[in-house]
Amino acid sequence: MLETGLAQLRFAASMLFSLPLSVGALERLVDAALDTRREFGAIGPAAAEFLGGPPLDEEARREMQLRRFRSQAVTAARETPYYAGLFEKVGLDPQRLRFEDIARIPVTPKAAMRNTPDAFVRRSALPAFRTMTTGTTGRPTSTYFSAHEMQTTALLSALTFLQEGQIGPDDIVQISTSSRATLGNACFSQACQRIGAAWYLAGLVQPAQALALLAEEHHLPGKKPRTSFLSTYPSYLGELVECGLAAGYRPADFGLERISVGGEVVTAGLKARAQQLFGPVAFNEGFGMTEIWPLGATRCAAGHLHFEPTQGLIEVLNPETSGPAQPGEAGTLVATPFWPYREASVVLRYDTEDVVAPVAGPLTCRLADWPATSDIRGKLRLSVRHDLGWTYPRDVLEALEAVEAVPLPARCGFWAVSGGVGVEVVVRAATPLVRGKLESALEAQGVPLCGLRLLEDLRQLQHPLPLRCDLREDSFATPAPSTAPDVSAAGRLPAERS
Amino acid sequence: MLVATIVVLGCAIAAVLLSWRYFRRYAIVRPPLGVFNFSDVAMMLGSIILIPYLDLALPLWVVAGLLVVGGLSTLYFTWEPILRPAWARWLATLVLVGLDLAAWQWLGRSSPWWYAINNVFVVLCAVGITNLWAQAGMRARDAAILAGALAAYDLVFTSLLPLMGDLYARLAMLPLAPMVAWPIGREGQWYAIGLGDLLLAAAFPLVMRKAFGRSAGLAAMAIGLAAMGILIISPILGPYVEIFPVMVVLGPLMVLQYAYWRRRCGSERTTWQYLQAEPIHR
Repeated sequence: MLETGLAQLRFAASMLFSLPLSVGALERLVDAALDTRREFGAIGPAAAEFLGGPPLDEEARREMQLRRFRSQAVTAARETPYYAGLFEKVGLDPQRLRFEDIARIPVTPKAAMRNTPDAFVRRSALPAFRTMTTGTTGRPTSTYFSAHEMQTTALLSALTFLQEGQIGPDDIVQISTSSRATLGNACFSQACQRIGAAWYLAGLVQPAQALALLAEEHHLPGKKPRTSFLSTYPSYLGELVECGLAAGYRPADFGLERISVGGEVVTAGLKARAQQLFGPVAFNEGFGMTEIWPLGATRCAAGHLHFEPTQGLIEVLNPETSGPAQPGEAGTLVATPFWPYREASVVLRYDTEDVVAPVAGPLTCRLADWPATSDIRGKLRLSVRHDLGWTYPRDVLEALEAVEAVPLPARCGFWAVSGGVGVEVVVRAATPLVRGKLESALEAQGVPLCGLRLLEDLRQLQHPLPLRCDLREDSFATPAPSTAPDVSAAGRLPAERS
Repeated sequence: MLVATIVVLGCAIAAVLLSWRYFRRYAIVRPPLGVFNFSDVAMMLGSIILIPYLDLALPLWVVAGLLVVGGLSTLYFTWEPILRPAWARWLATLVLVGLDLAAWQWLGRSSPWWYAINNVFVVLCAVGITNLWAQAGMRARDAAILAGALAAYDLVFTSLLPLMGDLYARLAMLPLAPMVAWPIGREGQWYAIGLGDLLLAAAFPLVMRKAFGRSAGLAAMAIGLAAMGILIISPILGPYVEIFPVMVVLGPLMVLQYAYWRRRCGSERTTWQYLQAEPIHR
């Protein structure tokens, strides 16, 4: 207890006096969390306070965030080629920034980081790891991280998983994300390893192969008998659901307890259909992005994305006026990750191009003390501006994935037409009944539908939304027949896969 | 001497029984992260060796100040699960500490009133501290190691060296003295048992219950009380000794009990396993 108390003080010192995070202190805190879990069965909610600090009122939070932003701005101006001349150009002294001055700093566009990633690296940093985005929405963007921040991020993730009771030493974790998603995979797998959970990187292999891995029985000492935690993308989860249900898998064939799903829009329809296959699994949804890592968001039960205020500043800017978006009004998420969480590369006011809306307070959810936005509505470049306003990928995907006639993941596209949007979608069978259901669902989501094309072949899509599940990593061999569930013993037949 | 023996023995029994009752009735507010582990025991042993020298070396007012701060915080967390409003906890804490200080100041440290108030204070502190240890996950193995180490320490520092005698003589001059005591005979003489001995006697049944079950806890309580009882009443029955190292008797008994139950039951239960097996309906 005493050692843990000292480690907590060391962590608090990093928060209060901007000292670098101590790997030793974080290691001790992870050990303490593991011991607490082992001794008491769970970690109490009070433990959350020491990571996020005590709840702050609006004014105190603003003051704390301004102090941290200012310190990050001073570092950026002094140590990075990209920001060196920028403050002079806009006539701002980073040491004297006021909160209202932040809006005067030009937003950092994705293109800047994509074209010159080295220009964001601090002169005194020790970059050890270059990670690249998977490039789903364009050419990959690179970001550099130091070995120290990779270590601390993994330890902080381990602490969060333990504190939330999401991963324990008895879990078996399958990572079904692109093997090129090195940052997320490295931090997540190191966190699992530190907790003592067994993990494996399945990658984006054929869904049948991934399902066989999930259904595989294990006889590992101290571990659950089947894979209990899956980390993947919504579109790949959709493929697993589609393939699993078609192959005759049932919840009893799996031991999944939790699915961490992110990187794309997660719909209610996808979650409901995933539960048909895997049973009553819990979902971890949040928001994370390579360029602003480790600043991310946790999704509360009310559907808000909450950002831990000590980790960074978030703003929501109206893409048309570039001013702050009002509650309920859509805008793009602009984020500034703070020291000491972010060390090697510095970004100020990075435009994530993800569309969200500020939420009106006062909030009553579990994370009400943290700044919040709505859930992600999709990338701005994939959204459509039309005569009546905007339609976002979420509006369309929520409608389509709620309809059983649309195979998962929804393969679709939408574009502006006179008076609204046109939508195209791949369905199992293009019947008038399906058309009616889809039109109703789209209208219920507020999509001003002015034309609906039903397709039975995805190659006919003219405006396909990019999906991460298409970052496929195939092997030479097709899955062996023995990987399918033994359905004959249960007296049922697997459905034919088309 | 008889009255002093009865008072000291009664307080010792009260500390053990109240700790046992508290353990099953109230959940102490423990730190959200961390378990009382072997490092804490090692740290505690280090402090036990160091602190008496500090208490002897520091000016009396500094030692008194440390006792007041320690007493206030211990009483506060002891009351925490019992008295819900914070003001009630502070009131109960301040009243008892205030009475102790006032009785010491105005009635004098030879007054039976001061002894009575201080005894209540020490018993309550023992209840709180033992429950903090046990409810923070102290293992029976660690308690046995602590008891064994303290037996050796007590033998050296109480029997062979004058350290403990000098320390108690000094602390007894202060308010909130960490011992259960009662005046005997001539002015300034008293009969006492130290808070440290009480803590081990009261904590061991709790950790044994958590680790090995109710029978192990009750046996530890019965053996501890019997041993303490014999030691406390022995001056009436036999020759008078000025100071006796209680842990020299209690320590080996605790080590032997741990060895017996460990052999009989196998590995210790965690707090979670204990609460699953013996749920508490508070």
